[in-house]
Amino acid sequence: MTPGALSRERDVREAYAAHSGELYGFAMRSLGDSGLAEEAVQETFVRAWRAGERFDPQIGSLRTWLFAILRNVVIDLGRARSARPSVAEGGVEPSVEPLEEALLSWQVEEAMRRIGDEHRRVLVETHYLGRPYSEVAAELGVPEGTVKSRVYYGLRALRVVLEEMGYEG
Amino acid sequence: MKAESCRDWRLSLGAYALGHLSVEERAGLEAHLEGCPECRSEAESLKSLGRLLPLADPARFTHPTPKPAPELGERIASTIGAEKRREKRRRRWQIGFGFAGAAAAATAAVLAVLVLPGGGASEPSQNVAFASLPPGVDISATLQPHAYGTEIHMYVTGMRSGTLCRVFLRGPHGERVPAGTFRYRWGDDNEAVLSSALDLSRTRAIGVHAGSKTFVAAVQSAGAAETENHNQEDAT
Repeated sequence: MTPGALSRERDVREAYAAHSGELYGFAMRSLGDSGLAEEAVQETFVRAWRAGERFDPQIGSLRTWLFAILRNVVIDLGRARSARPSVAEGGVEPSVEPLEEALLSWQVEEAMRRIGDEHRRVLVETHYLGRPYSEVAAELGVPEGTVKSRVYYGLRALRVVLEEMGYEG
Repeated sequence: MKAESCRDWRLSLGAYALGHLSVEERAGLEAHLEGCPECRSEAESLKSLGRLLPLADPARFTHPTPKPAPELGERIASTIGAEKRREKRRRRWQIGFGFAGAAAAATAAVLAVLVLPGGGASEPSQNVAFASLPPGVDISATLQPHAYGTEIHMYVTGMRSGTLCRVFLRGPHGERVPAGTFRYRWGDDNEAVLSSALDLSRTRAIGVHAGSKTFVAAVQSAGAAETENHNQEDAT
């Protein structure tokens, strides 16, 4: 990609196809309302298109840039909503956690969704629910050692997915 | 031999990094880590990963990723297309006024459009501001004459997102001529481009039904001797 790669409508369409799902997922998590989340995504692409000339892939990826814009849009939307409470009617209360943390949380959740079912299952059972390995092993009908190795490979898979998503731990 | 024993230990590194091992298991593994830099660095990496896990809420990630409405992409494309056309028109204006220097021309063009008084058939366009609006709401319009009738640019801010707006023009005898509908969406792009068959020279007022309200603003077009001045009337 060359600098200003988002200045044409066609580039916006391509960027939308590649990134809208993730951006919407995060907007949805932060705003808790599908209508607002769609507005946030729309506003993100419109702003990105307007500022398209300024996008420089030497500095960072398009995805990172779009997330940075979305971050600002979510802040603006949150402000607009608190100024105009009627907009939030029927919606969910705005997320109270700081946005950076929300973004990281969303990344980890999204990465969890993308790893295999078996890996996610053992991480949920052993770590989030704190169940003993023997119990989980019996329930799954596998040896305890298999649960342990799935925890290991599950974490490794999670690391790979997070790195693909741009996380630099 | 070492590689093989490493493999066995490695399979426990996940449970170790998450603090799931018993005291004895942990002691055994840590003895191995003492002498094995590769396993040690893997353990550190998994530990830092483990510190991220509490940030995620399993109630969220056990559901599939939510997806936006399929038409969102098209909506964005048409918003950008509309803005592009508006930008082109703005540039034409700058050229039309014949000023050198883009910045000066831009300022002058905008001022000229805003300041030119009403009246006169040669008037290129009419700017109309709606008054008596609810707090926070702003509606204005630009009307341009065409052979087919009138081109209308509506600029709206501050309404509830999703509000359906129906626009009409009012002729010299009070008759209403429809000028189309648009839906107000939150965002910076608050322009809707509409058209009506009524000539601008015959247009006396422009009205917008939005939600349960109707807002009307007078249009000072050529030959508009009598102008209507009520800005808000009850919904019909």
